[in-house]
Amino acid sequence: MKLPTIRPGLGGRFTLLLALIGVLASGLTGYYAFSTSRSLLVTAAEQRLLTANQVLVRQLLVTLEGVVRDVRMLARHPLLAQALSATGAEARGGAEEGVDALFAGMLETRPEYFQVRLIAAAEHGMERVRIDRDDSGLVRVAGDEMQEKGHFPYVYETLRLPPGRVYISPPAINHEEGAHASLGKPTLQLAVPIRDGRRVLGLVVISVDIGRIFQQLSAELPSNVAFMLTNRHGDFLVHPDPAKAFAFDRGRRVLIQDEFPATAGLVAGEPGELVTVADMPGQGRVVAAFVKHRLPAEHDDRSFILGLSQPLAEVLASSDTVGAATARIVVAFSVLSIFLAILLARAVIRPLNQMLRSVERFSSGEARTPLPVQRRDEIGVLARSVDSLQKQVDGQMAALQEKQRELDHLASHDSLTGLPNRRLFLDRLAQALARSRRTGEPLALLFIDLDHFKEINDRLGHGAGDVVLRTVAERMVAEVREIDTVARLGGDEFIILLDATEDRAVIAKIAGALLTVLADPVAVAGEAVVIGGSIGISGYPRDGSTAIEIIAAADKAMYRAKHEGRNSFRFASGEA
Amino acid sequence: MLGTRRCALLLLSFCLALLPMPALQAAERPVLRVLAWPGYADPDVVQGFEQRHKVRVEVTQIDSDTALWQRMSANGGRDFDVFAVNTAELQRYIDGGMALPVDPAAIANIRRQLPRFRQVEAIPGLLRGGQVYGIPYTYAEMGLIYDRSQFVVPPDSLRALWDPALHGRVLAYNGGTHNFSLAMLSLGSEQPFALASGDWRPAVERLIELRRNVLGFYTQPEESVEVFRRHRVALMLANYGRQQLRLLRAAGADVGYVIPREGALAWLDCWVVASGVRDRRLVEAWLDYMLEPAVSDLLVSRQGLGSTIAEAAENRPQDQLRWLVAVEDYARRERLWARVISGDRLHRVLAP
Repeated sequence: MKLPTIRPGLGGRFTLLLALIGVLASGLTGYYAFSTSRSLLVTAAEQRLLTANQVLVRQLLVTLEGVVRDVRMLARHPLLAQALSATGAEARGGAEEGVDALFAGMLETRPEYFQVRLIAAAEHGMERVRIDRDDSGLVRVAGDEMQEKGHFPYVYETLRLPPGRVYISPPAINHEEGAHASLGKPTLQLAVPIRDGRRVLGLVVISVDIGRIFQQLSAELPSNVAFMLTNRHGDFLVHPDPAKAFAFDRGRRVLIQDEFPATAGLVAGEPGELVTVADMPGQGRVVAAFVKHRLPAEHDDRSFILGLSQPLAEVLASSDTVGAATARIVVAFSVLSIFLAILLARAVIRPLNQMLRSVERFSSGEARTPLPVQRRDEIGVLARSVDSLQKQVDGQMAALQEKQRELDHLASHDSLTGLPNRRLFLDRLAQALARSRRTGEPLALLFIDLDHFKEINDRLGHGAGDVVLRTVAERMVAEVREIDTVARLGGDEFIILLDATEDRAVIAKIAGALLTVLADPVAVAGEAVVIGGSIGISGYPRDGSTAIEIIAAADKAMYRAKHEGRNSFRFASGEA
Repeated sequence: MLGTRRCALLLLSFCLALLPMPALQAAERPVLRVLAWPGYADPDVVQGFEQRHKVRVEVTQIDSDTALWQRMSANGGRDFDVFAVNTAELQRYIDGGMALPVDPAAIANIRRQLPRFRQVEAIPGLLRGGQVYGIPYTYAEMGLIYDRSQFVVPPDSLRALWDPALHGRVLAYNGGTHNFSLAMLSLGSEQPFALASGDWRPAVERLIELRRNVLGFYTQPEESVEVFRRHRVALMLANYGRQQLRLLRAAGADVGYVIPREGALAWLDCWVVASGVRDRRLVEAWLDYMLEPAVSDLLVSRQGLGSTIAEAAENRPQDQLRWLVAVEDYARRERLWARVISGDRLHRVLAP
């Protein structure tokens, strides 16, 4: 079975297309607005993080510069050189006490310092003055607790420093036994050699609680921003996951270039900055900004990378509001565009449909429906064209029908008298008979032949004969009822069908009246011509059951009337 | 039409005939399950064995003693046919019944090994109850690296680390267990891994002397190379052996390597038959294959490790390697070392 292919109409397709364009346009606009807002948010977050990062680097450097100033100030203090160079126990003790007070004073004002020490170059780097910080406060370490530190880089590197330089250690976990608060904590050592002329006597070293500094740095950051710091190799010193900070101290390497592959170039290369969106283990997708900074005036490559990251979801949280608003606008505009599309399609399609209906009705011959001829656009022009076409067709059809009617009339009527001719008469008789057979109603036929007509024709010409025939016909028509049919069979023979007439008296009366009007003189060519007629009457069902029988019976009766003295009528069947 | 159908039929039967063969072969191939360290059984090495013996080898890699123990003990050693472990660690696998003895006579290539690896009774931990439990495969020793330009005669003793003439130009390793052993060796002890009660004091004294003589102590190989170069170090104890030598040479240092006459501490990894062994002959074939020059040489060229069948260029046959064994008290060594490295003096180090 083949299903008919259903295709939407022009109006449907037009609506669909317009609606589609509308929805697509608003949807795409919305989508691009949304994605642009997202990328703008990410860019803004990156810039924000980068700026915050630069501020933090600045703060870190300021803090570090503060320590450098402190350690330099201490190194320049004459008491330190005195304590290191004094030979007598008393002089040395006095100087050390002074240094002691100096160190204690500094530790009291600088909570981020773990310990301040004066270390001699001699005696394997023996500590000479050492103030540690403890949970309970400051601890003056003395006597046996003093240790030899010559084998630590902050001692042997510092002692070898050229004048004017400050040693800054790599950040590391302090494993030096007896270091009090510093033990096991991330520590940074800053040291300056103490000179007596060209001779290096020892050094002063400040151990800095970098954990505290990092904490202070990150304290002002919003809680959703993660703070990261790495050493020059990329090992994390600060990481949101504490297990990843200083992992190298536990025999593991957790590197920034592994967590953020984009930073590989930064770790290997020169100081710079970088923003990236990456998957951070345990943190999900984050926006991150990194700044690599290198400390100045160092013989060693002391650089670090500071990083800040923020979950992408949080950065984009405000874009969800934008997204929802955009979605609402898109939906509203889509609905609007669908509505407009329907309206527009209707505006275009309705007059077309109007015309279509009109043409359909026109072609099926029904009454015409109005066309939108009053429109001033192309549709108006089309409507007017259709209208004039219809009118033209209408006119032609009317002329054609008129001709047809004339032809029909000519075919069924006598051209001279305008009476139905034999063909039409036989047709009507057949119909009347059929009706009579059904209803049982009788009918009667009057066969009329004019008397002396041939003589008038011969004497006065055919024109006179025609006048007589016409006059006679008119008179007969006037005598019978409207339902009765008067026909001319040809020549001077007429026949009348009297419908539903049975009463012989009535028929006789009609026949008599007919004879009277026939006997009236007819004025022809200034002469009163007298004619008459003979009438034969037959009836159904008495005189036959078919048209031929009935006509023949009337014909026979007419001849009887003619032979028995003209101007009279005879019934086909007798009186009985 | 008929031709096409016949062709298709032929092709189909051809495919059917061919397809099951490799599948069947693969299913029938015996599997050798190997548990080893990275670099011991590289894919090309494994492929060579698979082709030669028409078997499939499943290599599982571990990168720490802990991971090795977890893998092996997970199922009583029955998940593997053969595994690689160092002689010190091997003991607990024997104790746990996860390692099985091996018959050296069944491994032809053992004759290729250097005498010091063939004399299994001289290697502590390989024998138990008169049976051999491991076939030595690779090792690394902790020799001395020296700057050729600073020595007329290369150092040949651990005592050079204590040489006052080299004060401030010596680099040592920051590790308590090994350092106590080294101290004992430098004192002439033959029992560096088992300190008697009377040995602690001299050992600590020796370590404090070492501390006072060195420039510093390193932890990482890269760190050692950096300090060595920057401070013109003359002598370094190479805890990472030839790996450090390669790094230094790559950095452009003119350095030599020597095994001190007291012997060098060394770890030795052996192939051991696991208790899960299914086909002993196949395991023996694997062990034999591992000792082929083409395979064992890769340890040297690719990993910087020692091969048991060829003497390293720097080593002499008389060099003594002191295979690491479990020490008497790891915790005490580390505790005392932490004090030594922190700079404490003798009585405070030895304080309870």
